[in-house]
Amino acid sequence: MALLEGRNLRKTYRLSRRNTLQALCGVDVSIEPGEIVAIMGPSGSGKSTLMHILGLLHAPDSNHGPRPELSFNGRDMVALGEGERTRIRAREMGFVFQDFNLVPTLTAVENVMLACDYAGVGGHKARQAALEALGLVGLSERADHRPAELSGGEQQRVAIARALVNRPSLVLADEPTGNLDSARSEEVLGLLRRLNREHGQTFVLVTHDPEVGQACDRIVHMRDGRIRDGRSGAAAAATQGTRLLR
Amino acid sequence: MRMLRNLARRRLRTGLTILGITIGIWALVVFGSMANRINDMVDKGSAFYDSGAVTVWGGGGSMPKSNPVDVAIADRIASLEGVDVVVPGVSMNISDDTAGMSMGLPPMITGEVAGSDKGRMAMVLRAASGRLLAAADEGSNVTVLGCDLARQYGKRAGDTIALRGEDFQVVGVLEPTLTQPDNSAMVPLAAAQRLYLSTLPSLVTANLTASKVVTSFTVYPRPGTSSEAIAAEIKAADPELGTMTPSDFTRLAGSYAAMLNAVLVGIGLISVVVGGLSVVNTMAMAIAERTREIGIKRAIGASRARIVREVVAESALIGCIGGTIGLFLGALIVTLANDAGRSSGTILFELTAGTAATALAFSTLLGALAGFVPALHAARLDPVAALRYE
Repeated sequence: MALLEGRNLRKTYRLSRRNTLQALCGVDVSIEPGEIVAIMGPSGSGKSTLMHILGLLHAPDSNHGPRPELSFNGRDMVALGEGERTRIRAREMGFVFQDFNLVPTLTAVENVMLACDYAGVGGHKARQAALEALGLVGLSERADHRPAELSGGEQQRVAIARALVNRPSLVLADEPTGNLDSARSEEVLGLLRRLNREHGQTFVLVTHDPEVGQACDRIVHMRDGRIRDGRSGAAAAATQGTRLLR
Repeated sequence: MRMLRNLARRRLRTGLTILGITIGIWALVVFGSMANRINDMVDKGSAFYDSGAVTVWGGGGSMPKSNPVDVAIADRIASLEGVDVVVPGVSMNISDDTAGMSMGLPPMITGEVAGSDKGRMAMVLRAASGRLLAAADEGSNVTVLGCDLARQYGKRAGDTIALRGEDFQVVGVLEPTLTQPDNSAMVPLAAAQRLYLSTLPSLVTANLTASKVVTSFTVYPRPGTSSEAIAAEIKAADPELGTMTPSDFTRLAGSYAAMLNAVLVGIGLISVVVGGLSVVNTMAMAIAERTREIGIKRAIGASRARIVREVVAESALIGCIGGTIGLFLGALIVTLANDAGRSSGTILFELTAGTAATALAFSTLLGALAGFVPALHAARLDPVAALRYE
């Protein structure tokens, strides 16, 4: 059974009173457990919109056309209210964003503990889990540093630790290497691959970087709010390459 | 801890906001203490009237006057039905230059024959040192000083004090009563009559004999007779006399006190509300600055209620810090002012635990309320839009 399955996902944004933007025009997508999937496409292709819907940050439009469906861990997500979606985001999903997105006043470990806190885990247990997650991304030594004292790559690794700390079934990453130089980018990507390989962690990455795409099991290409095809030749070759490496 | 770090992000802004609340609470504490003191004086003053005593003076009107009245009127009042005891008395300002308006109780010289109330006076006076006056003191120049007056003049039992040009031996100092006796010099009636006469213009005194002149009568009704009935009788017998019953006093003092309280507390409240508005502004700015941060928190699973709680707690903390400093500064001012005023007998403030607790609770609540609207705004942000916010 697919971990995450969406059908007829549409999203129209209202830019002004007369102007609307159809960001997503009916997308079917399925994520299997243990996959690293890249969603790629030029800007404006709807890839971020798709990620926001898959990550329960936005609900798909249901007011026209075929009924949208979205199931996560076998449960229907379309009918859920804001409160319930927030709970699932907190407990069963992890998020990594482009701009590192740490809370500047909190230390690395406190940033990670924030996710525990929102998932209802507190106190000593949360600190333990946060330190463990930081260990997983190789930042045990930097746990008590504030974001400003960390490099860009380190900040992004803290964000990954935060995304992983509640052992979510799915981690969604929006341009996780977008603000990193190629060496750091490679470092972060290697980390994601390792976590996928060693822990079977499912990742959905939104990216426009072909190198990132190639590092994934599968690429979903998007253009003009639609999925162009499930898999490109290069990606397929790359996938086979990584599979062979295992 | 985390909230303090958030507050420390913009030290100047947070500092100014806290200062706003501080000033507001400071004003509330100081003015509230002043209102407390006024209420207290009214309460203690009405204790005097607990016995149902009616104060009678010459010249009519509804406010007591210090006009000369023939002491013989006491007998006429005493013969009225329902009257138990009549105490003739003399009271005057301690000197002419203190006759002006003062916030506290004016320093007075009062004279009565000790014990002439036959135990009817409801206010119990005790000597802190020395003794009280006795009937046998009539004819001698002795005085018992109220505690504030004694402190102001630096006199103790055994000292000599000059009252309106005559030397009096201080035989005792009273315990504090928190009302008029604190600021009074009590002398035997005959001495008071003599001093009183010396304050009147010679044209008036020409036809007066000191021993025949008093300024007031305190009339105690028999049990079962109302003070109002006695007052009506007295005025019917002599329309030239003015009377004040316990309910007159309560009405008069109560309405003054209520008005003053309203003005004082009103000033304090306005200051605090202005401070509260600055908290609203600060929190709204803090949230605008942290839009992205709120977006992240929402995205990774912070509920709306959680965001509201964080913002409200932070602004409540601003209120609480401001309130604590304001209370501290207010208490300092009140203490200093009272210490300074004690030497001149004017105690203006009384800071009660209730006022302090109210000020603290109010500042915290105000802070929380002020944070509420910005907090709701923050909670309603679309996490995706907030994440993209520059």
